[in-house]
Amino acid sequence: MGHILGLFDFLGAVVVYTARTLTYLFTGRLSWRLVARQMEFLGVNTIPLAMMVCAFVGATMSYLLAEELGKRGAANYTGGFLLVALLREFIPVLSGVVMAGKAGSAITSEIGSMKITSQIEALRALSTDPHWFLTAPRIIALLVMLPVVGVFSGFAGFYAGFAMANAKIGISYASYSLYINSFVVANDFFACFIKCLVFGIVVAAVGCYMGYRVEGGAAGVGREVTNSVVVSIVMIFGLDLLLLPILF
Amino acid sequence: MLKLIDIRAGYGNTEVLHGVSLVAEGNVTTAIIGSSGGGKSTLLKVIMGFLRPTSGRLIIDGEDVTHCSEHAFAEHRLKMGLVFQESALFDSLTVAENIGFFPFYREKQPWRKVLPRVREMLDMLGLEGIESKYPAELSGGMRRRVALGRTLIYRPKVLLYDEPTTGLDPTMINIVDEIIREMNEKFKVTSVLVSHDLESVLDVAERVFLMHEGVALDVGEPHQLLTSEDPIVCQFTKSWREHVEMYRRLIHGPEPPARG
Repeated sequence: MGHILGLFDFLGAVVVYTARTLTYLFTGRLSWRLVARQMEFLGVNTIPLAMMVCAFVGATMSYLLAEELGKRGAANYTGGFLLVALLREFIPVLSGVVMAGKAGSAITSEIGSMKITSQIEALRALSTDPHWFLTAPRIIALLVMLPVVGVFSGFAGFYAGFAMANAKIGISYASYSLYINSFVVANDFFACFIKCLVFGIVVAAVGCYMGYRVEGGAAGVGREVTNSVVVSIVMIFGLDLLLLPILF
Repeated sequence: MLKLIDIRAGYGNTEVLHGVSLVAEGNVTTAIIGSSGGGKSTLLKVIMGFLRPTSGRLIIDGEDVTHCSEHAFAEHRLKMGLVFQESALFDSLTVAENIGFFPFYREKQPWRKVLPRVREMLDMLGLEGIESKYPAELSGGMRRRVALGRTLIYRPKVLLYDEPTTGLDPTMINIVDEIIREMNEKFKVTSVLVSHDLESVLDVAERVFLMHEGVALDVGEPHQLLTSEDPIVCQFTKSWREHVEMYRRLIHGPEPPARG
């Protein structure tokens, strides 16, 4: 029973944080200065890591595709196949997972540390809504930055794939990219973008929720940081599945 | 200015304050002392509206705010300034941004207008030249002063100090006590000091309440901490009185035995 109540509490908090953030956004009360600071801290710093992860996966996929398709005389399909896989699945999921590990954990640890050192109460003492100062800028920052991270990691994955295919079967770039138009449709880009937006909100909202939940000093911060990363990753994979019939 | 009438409050089913009544008004420093678990921190939370009382009345600047909404309370909260025990400075902001937090983020004033006010506050608190430092680079005493500056910049009518001298060396304690007196004189605020430090209380307070098992006992003037015969006051100040007597003997020698 306690777990079910906890789940509802968690889901309710995620919805409330998102709704409050959107309220601040649409009523013009959002501080863009705070958002910009978080975009730099949480988003820009994640780009190299996400690119690296996506490049590894792109190269691995390309290795397998080039080999199998090359055996069947269809090596020219490698780039098209890979880009579809990247857009539909790997870009949003991998960027989301990297963001959960880097930005989600940073959000939880910062808010958690602020809570145990009375900084959240200090905000309230200064008649400042902690959600305005802490939650909303982080949610908007990740909402904007996850698609940006996705673009960079997508390019990294695609070109790492080409480098691998070229090394493996000596395919040229013209051949590698020959059938992209046959495989990739506009909806793939749209779906990738929507998934990035959703995962961005999830990572930020979960990070904030776990941060506000911190109790009991440094040990509590460590515990909730772990929970934040685990819950975010599970939610990313779960939502990825749930979004399939809606987006494709 | 600040009036609590028969306040009861607690956490969940545990009642911590069992009907606290006290008044702090005028340009007077009121000290709230008491042992750990006596309800001092809970009382501060109630005054600041972080915890709502289950019964009783909380009156701030003549207005009953006991049952007002969180949004309305946020406005009343501006009449009060709380200096936290461990300063609670925002780690990610510089000293200048901490002190200018209220006018910049809450009042949305441009930074070019906020900065002169910040510098004026830094000068007043004897903190010139540290505006671009981060809280982690400051000593305990400097952090307390920055926290005070962050509060004073919006000119609250009531200043609440939560254990302002805890963890400081004797020199720094004297400096903090001096600052509390100065702020009182300069800004004509009502000060409420929550402290364990009886010497500090004796130094700066004009009226003392002792929190004991969730009830506030009006001790009176600070010197009555040494002379009161109330058993609760005697029990709380016993070891301190012994120390005071020991120092007196060290300085003046033992009292001669009574004749006749």
